[in-house]
Amino acid sequence: MAKILIVDDEEGIRMLYSMELQDEGYAVITLPDGKGLMEVIEQEQPDCIILDIKMREYNGLDLLQQIRKKYYDLPVILNSAYSSFKVDLKTVAADYYVVKSSDLTELKEKIKLALECSIPK
Amino acid sequence: MKYIEENPDGIKSAEIVIGIPSYNEASSIFFPTEQADKGLVKYYSNRAAVIINCDNDSDDGTGEAFLGVKTQTPKIYVSTESGVRGKGNNLKNLFLKAVELDAKAIVVVDADLKSITPLWVRNLCEPVLDNYDFVAPLYIRHKYDVTVTNNIAYPLTRSLYGRRVRQPMGGDVAFSGALAKQFVETEFWTEKVGAFGIDIWMTTIALRSRSSVIQSFMGKPKLHKIRDLDSHLDMMFEDVVSTMFDLMIEYESFWREVKWSRPTAVFGFGLGDVEMPPPVEMDTHRLWENFIGGIRKDWDLYADVISRENLNKLEEVVDLPVGGFEFPAGLWAKIIYDFAISYRNHSFDRSKLVRALIPIHYGKTLSFVTETQAMNNQQVEEFIEDQCAQFEKAKSYLVEKWFA
Repeated sequence: MAKILIVDDEEGIRMLYSMELQDEGYAVITLPDGKGLMEVIEQEQPDCIILDIKMREYNGLDLLQQIRKKYYDLPVILNSAYSSFKVDLKTVAADYYVVKSSDLTELKEKIKLALECSIPK
Repeated sequence: MKYIEENPDGIKSAEIVIGIPSYNEASSIFFPTEQADKGLVKYYSNRAAVIINCDNDSDDGTGEAFLGVKTQTPKIYVSTESGVRGKGNNLKNLFLKAVELDAKAIVVVDADLKSITPLWVRNLCEPVLDNYDFVAPLYIRHKYDVTVTNNIAYPLTRSLYGRRVRQPMGGDVAFSGALAKQFVETEFWTEKVGAFGIDIWMTTIALRSRSSVIQSFMGKPKLHKIRDLDSHLDMMFEDVVSTMFDLMIEYESFWREVKWSRPTAVFGFGLGDVEMPPPVEMDTHRLWENFIGGIRKDWDLYADVISRENLNKLEEVVDLPVGGFEFPAGLWAKIIYDFAISYRNHSFDRSKLVRALIPIHYGKTLSFVTETQAMNNQQVEEFIEDQCAQFEKAKSYLVEKWFA
């Protein structure tokens, strides 16, 4: 069972995504912001991260930079209510960028693609 | 390969090497050499460095012009033997020399660059010193610049090797000493690689070997000498596409297993205001004429190379009016794959086959220009991403036909 880590400061989003993704058969863990993110990745070894960008005390794009320094191939999907962050080149380091919506079809599709992606060693 | 060398300072080793490949660049080599020196002095004064001009035995005095630039960094001039041309052959000499010097980081910048700054040296070199193996450049480019990159090199490299390197043949790159050694030891080498195929060859070797790859944001657009675009495009197209197809044959067992793609991180932010590139004008009427004229000329060949279903769709595209012209990205991807298979099968003379793809490329470019006319840079990037997704989706078509 693939494990998804959701990092988002909105509790409602964390709950909604958790329910929907568990229904899809994923194991889900959540974090309310970037505090301790690297430790959680280290301990939980998620297969994919869904990362909010605009959080109260953390910037998801900076967190993405940190993740990429240590985890070259860990799938990260940026998930923001704003599409305007797409102009920031830091988003290039993400597997996908999905604008938040109550319909999770696109997010689920991108999670599937990110998990299916394979490159031989 | 033998090379001619002038090493006035008797340099025997260097931690950082900056290579400047050239052929008849006497009038332009001063600037990149000067900027490279400034970059090395500003950011790496505590490291042993050398600037190497790897030349094609230019007869316009490029070597003298290079060695005559007053720099704090020592310089070496290396040249292919008389009559041997090609950027790839120059870089092969650079790989050999870098290995001989036991370099840790090798940076390559083009000899005709007009927009290079000392910061480019840092942005290309730093990731290698931070243990990345290959650094590809990331420039802000005008939406109509580098059509071969946007329509073929980027989407095809990405779908085959699974890594998103936006400028896989950008020219200004950096790599580790270990990767330089691997370049030297790689047996696959052709005349096309020795020419314009070298940039895509380096990126592909790096991706295939699963080296750690990063992109570096250069801040300024790439400005260089203006060439005769038509003749340059045709020559470059043939070298690049032939090299990509040759590498597909060489690495078929690797890309067969690749599914979808992964991003590549970016180095180099906080550069202040980003300079926008100058506009590139596109003559849509000329693109249309080149498309239709070439299609008519090569239709018989297409009938043998392109699958019946794709040929029917191409026929539909040909019938579209110039205003409202559209070349579906999925069809384009499948036609590229059909050509790659025909190339592998030696169905036609390979040069003739690749040249026959050029008119269809003009059609795809016309469609790109028409569809992106009202788009800003960000929207165009998203458009290109969608196009890449079509190449990835059509990959199963390639795998099925290639390995049938």
